[in-house]
Amino acid sequence: MMAFRGFGGFATSGLIAAAILWSFATADVELSRLMSAGPRIADFLGRMFPPDPTVMAEIKKGSAETLRIAILGSLGAVVLSVPFGILASETMVSSAVFRSIRTLLAFIRAIPLILVAMLMVGAVGLGPLPGIIAVAFHATGMLAKFYAEAIDGVSRAPIAALESAGAGPLVRLRYAIWPQMAPVVARDTIFRFELNLRESLILGIVGAGGIGFYIQTYVRSFQYDKAASVTIAVFVMVIAIEAINVALRRRFA
Amino acid sequence: MSTAIQIDDLSFAHTGADVPALERVSLNIPTGESVALLGPSGAGKTTLLALLDGRLFGWCGQISILGAPLDPDHPPMCARRPDTGFVFQEFALVERSAVLRNVLNGRLGRMSPLRALMGSPTKHDLEIARTALADCGIADLANRRVDSLSGGQRQRVAIARCLAQEPRLVLADEPVSNLDPARAGEILALLTGAAQARGATALFASHQPDLARRFAQRIIGIRCGRIAFDVPTSELNEDATAELYREVEPIPGIGLRAVS
Repeated sequence: MMAFRGFGGFATSGLIAAAILWSFATADVELSRLMSAGPRIADFLGRMFPPDPTVMAEIKKGSAETLRIAILGSLGAVVLSVPFGILASETMVSSAVFRSIRTLLAFIRAIPLILVAMLMVGAVGLGPLPGIIAVAFHATGMLAKFYAEAIDGVSRAPIAALESAGAGPLVRLRYAIWPQMAPVVARDTIFRFELNLRESLILGIVGAGGIGFYIQTYVRSFQYDKAASVTIAVFVMVIAIEAINVALRRRFA
Repeated sequence: MSTAIQIDDLSFAHTGADVPALERVSLNIPTGESVALLGPSGAGKTTLLALLDGRLFGWCGQISILGAPLDPDHPPMCARRPDTGFVFQEFALVERSAVLRNVLNGRLGRMSPLRALMGSPTKHDLEIARTALADCGIADLANRRVDSLSGGQRQRVAIARCLAQEPRLVLADEPVSNLDPARAGEILALLTGAAQARGATALFASHQPDLARRFAQRIIGIRCGRIAFDVPTSELNEDATAELYREVEPIPGIGLRAVS
């Protein structure tokens, strides 16, 4: 047993070391470039200062668009998650149905949002619409799973009581399950909205609308002082989202 | 006199259990009678009641409830279920809903599915729910949330829900096991009285012989899944009751197993 564990530990260490060496050997990492990276980054940051405040109009427009993408994307995710959540719950459907729906949701979760957004830009063109579709699709993978877990997490006795009284499955969902799961659904939906807002900040980089578009435009055109302003705006938004979410969570606790 | 419950040669084992929960049970309960199922914990009272409510499957034998046969493999049709009311041991109320909402839940099987789903009870439904609340002495609690009530109040809500269902047969699984003796007497008087006033049959499980004696016309003793005795309350003697609660002798070969 000890010998086996010793060998296992040795093999793991060897594997990690090999992976690191392989990365250094094949990537474009030369010592001279690495040494000069520090001053270059310092120079880059220097050119960002002072941030150019004349881009307020663009920041406002981009932030509003990001907010709209997050709100409509979340709405789409909620609308999709209600039926998928029901179909992924043990309580409501047969095991063949909930197992296959859960697998589908796991696949959806496995695809990064930025990749979905790139594909959607290809499919429906530039602008906020691909961003909204991408957020709705990506968030459903997580939110439907949360809703299914909320359904399965409720106390079973009231469900049996309503069944005994002659209520059908949907009526049981409405009057025995929903009142029990409502606070969990509210909490999970707010949590997912926060993630959607954070993630949609960068969607503009692939052309899917929002404030990320301006960062990408200013960096590509070497207007680093303007890019700095937009970056500060993103930073402020993330902190604001966090603060609002903490306040909301306190209300629902 | 018509028959409310007719059971012939009923046997049942829970999935995975090697000892049957019910073995060769036969009994006949006429309409309007109040009957107590007496027996120690694990005797099969809960199993029998849940089975009569159409919530357990895979049994053998014949059961007829209110004149219609019960299917051993499928739940009864929704339209039939409101006729059998069930009072659960742990109340089985929706804790975060108001008392009136919980009592109206008993009406769901009497409404059309669409009306039930839309949450729009008729005046008639509301009237019946209010009457049930008043009969159970909790009319003033209608708008309180269940999670703010005491155990005795909750049991009254559970009984009101059952009555709002307008059942012709009331099954109650240890309806007073969570209550102190004074409350227990009140609740059983309420339950059997309300059933009798409505001409309904009542079958309640209990492990307290004195309570069974006070509120039932007939007492059925169950032990190890079999009917030990079935007598009118006046004929119940102490010996039979003591025998019912005698410790189970270890059967050779099926002794206690250590759980690892």
